Amino acid sequence: MDRILRINMTDRSASFEPMPKQYENRAGRWLTSSIIHDEVPATCHPLGPNNKLVFSPGIVTGTSSPTSSRISVGGKSPLTGGIKEANAGTGWGRRLARLGIRAVIIEGRADGFWLLKITKNGASFETADAWTGKKLSEVYPKLFERSGGHKAVDICSIGIAGEHRMPAAGICFNDQNARPTRYAGRGGLGAVMGSKGLKMIVVDDTGSDDVPVANKEVFNGGRKNMAAALTEHAITKPKGALNSYGTAVLVNIINEAGALPTRNFRSGRFEGAAKIAGEAIFEGNKERTGSELYNHACSPGCIIACSNTWHRPDGSEHTSCVEYESAWALGANCGIDNLDQVAELNLLCNEYGLDTIEIGGALAVAMEGGLAAFGDGKRAIELVHEIGRATPLGKILGAGAVATGKVFGVSRVPHVKGQNMPAYEPRAIKGIGMTYAVSTMGADHTSGYTIAPEMLGVSGKLDPLNPDKAELARNFQYATAFIDTTGHCLFIAFAILDIASGFEGMVEECNGVLGTKWTAEDVARIGKEILDLELDFNHRAGFTKLDDRLPEFMLYEPLPPHNVVWDIADSEIDQVFGQ
Amino acid sequence: MRVEIRLYATFAQYAPSQRAGDPFSAQLHDGATLADLVGKLRIPEESIHLVIINGRIVHDRCQSLVDDDRVGLFPPVGGG
Repeated sequence: MDRILRINMTDRSASFEPMPKQYENRAGRWLTSSIIHDEVPATCHPLGPNNKLVFSPGIVTGTSSPTSSRISVGGKSPLTGGIKEANAGTGWGRRLARLGIRAVIIEGRADGFWLLKITKNGASFETADAWTGKKLSEVYPKLFERSGGHKAVDICSIGIAGEHRMPAAGICFNDQNARPTRYAGRGGLGAVMGSKGLKMIVVDDTGSDDVPVANKEVFNGGRKNMAAALTEHAITKPKGALNSYGTAVLVNIINEAGALPTRNFRSGRFEGAAKIAGEAIFEGNKERTGSELYNHACSPGCIIACSNTWHRPDGSEHTSCVEYESAWALGANCGIDNLDQVAELNLLCNEYGLDTIEIGGALAVAMEGGLAAFGDGKRAIELVHEIGRATPLGKILGAGAVATGKVFGVSRVPHVKGQNMPAYEPRAIKGIGMTYAVSTMGADHTSGYTIAPEMLGVSGKLDPLNPDKAELARNFQYATAFIDTTGHCLFIAFAILDIASGFEGMVEECNGVLGTKWTAEDVARIGKEILDLELDFNHRAGFTKLDDRLPEFMLYEPLPPHNVVWDIADSEIDQVFGQ
Repeated sequence: MRVEIRLYATFAQYAPSQRAGDPFSAQLHDGATLADLVGKLRIPEESIHLVIINGRIVHDRCQSLVDDDRVGLFPPVGGG
């Protein structure tokens, strides 16, 4: 029984609606972007009453399909002013799926802060003012205790940054061990949630049924092929690269290739890279805990298990998870090579409810503007505490890199559409640069992870400096939009791009759940449909192709060590979506 | 000639310090190729997924090396 739960924060009313016919088979990003496209006025203020926040688990989320516990969150972004979908790995979305809820739509605006509880019997509210102004590690354990424990519920919440409607605020979900550490991080959706007066959503699926599967035979065949591909591929298999070293295993390879943005995108090489990389995390943990720590799954049913922990000198856990993007943003991009300081910054972002990429970007721009020296981790930690105290300076940083650059007179601000670039230098990797340029999300590597063939030798071996990447950027964005719809983690791509039966397995899993007869062609068709919805929203919000450009400094500042500039013609960029 | 080597991920075990990314050098005869270097390092050929020389990804194991080349070797790795 698929249904939509519509929440009006203005009068705190809740109603269930049947899934509209036109949204049949839609879930995850396809559904969040459809609803935002159809229901949100594109020119509305992202923090005003007319914006909406939509949560949707993927097509196979909640089933026995492996690595499929992603929850998509959509809205109009206060960071970019365009449409946004950010997703996270957590058990939270599985519970929604088991309750038969394909989407939760949050609309209106309340005074004060509220807790929304969703159960089999419906939705209820209670005031959440007492939960505000606190670190999330103080909030989650108490709320779990009060709600029947982690076996019964999962929690989604904003932190202090979201309460103050900062554009770098993410939405936090707990991981499998109840840690408040998994984020739909990018684009400031935490600020949208805060603007609604919604502090947290507790989902209790007690008494729910299994997610219905229309054709069990087809589903099981697909699931087995997917599991086989993930277990076989060198990157995703148990004790493979992701399980051993986490995503931060990429620090060294991207650095070696001269494409690790360093000190606010001044260089593609960081001399301290090896000290903050996945291998250093693995070895450091071994020294400090006395045992080899392999990584854990962020969410139920994941067989890749790439989430790490970092431990203090006494062996106690400092933070989880130091992702590649976080190690880079809070490390290399700020010139910081001390893992304990990077871990502390990572922890604080989790505590205050912040996107590590945007905050790393804001800190680097602040360093450029003279607020701290590059490499001064101690000062960087103090600056993030300013965000946690919501001081005027903290609010500037919490508004992201572009706002910080404006306030401090910095011209080197690496962003597209207001969103700070992630950890791949576009001057040195042309396909990801084209993806950043045209992505409906602003600069975003997860829109289309061309790094796989351009750097990692997955699904081909392309020269990163070759500019002929329009088709690559387009096809990867279409395929990614589909993966974001299935509920699978994007990391399945490493396996299914190389192993054809894994790709077919993904399609068959969806067919099994939905009773459809999709083929590989439908993956591209649906991906294009999603992108077209998002492009149309952004067009109506005022974006033109002139927004599909990389920042000017990249056109005239050669990037060491390759000493290359961004030299892709605008007309070539415009070929990606043929605008 | 002398080349500068960095070994990463599981290849760290083949480095003198056994630490990923610690640079060390190797002496090779003039005209030596990438394959010659791999043989000298005793890393199983089939486990090498990616070679980066002076920041450029190199697929051809017959590529000649020159003095002061910076060579990085990787097993299959991925992340996000």
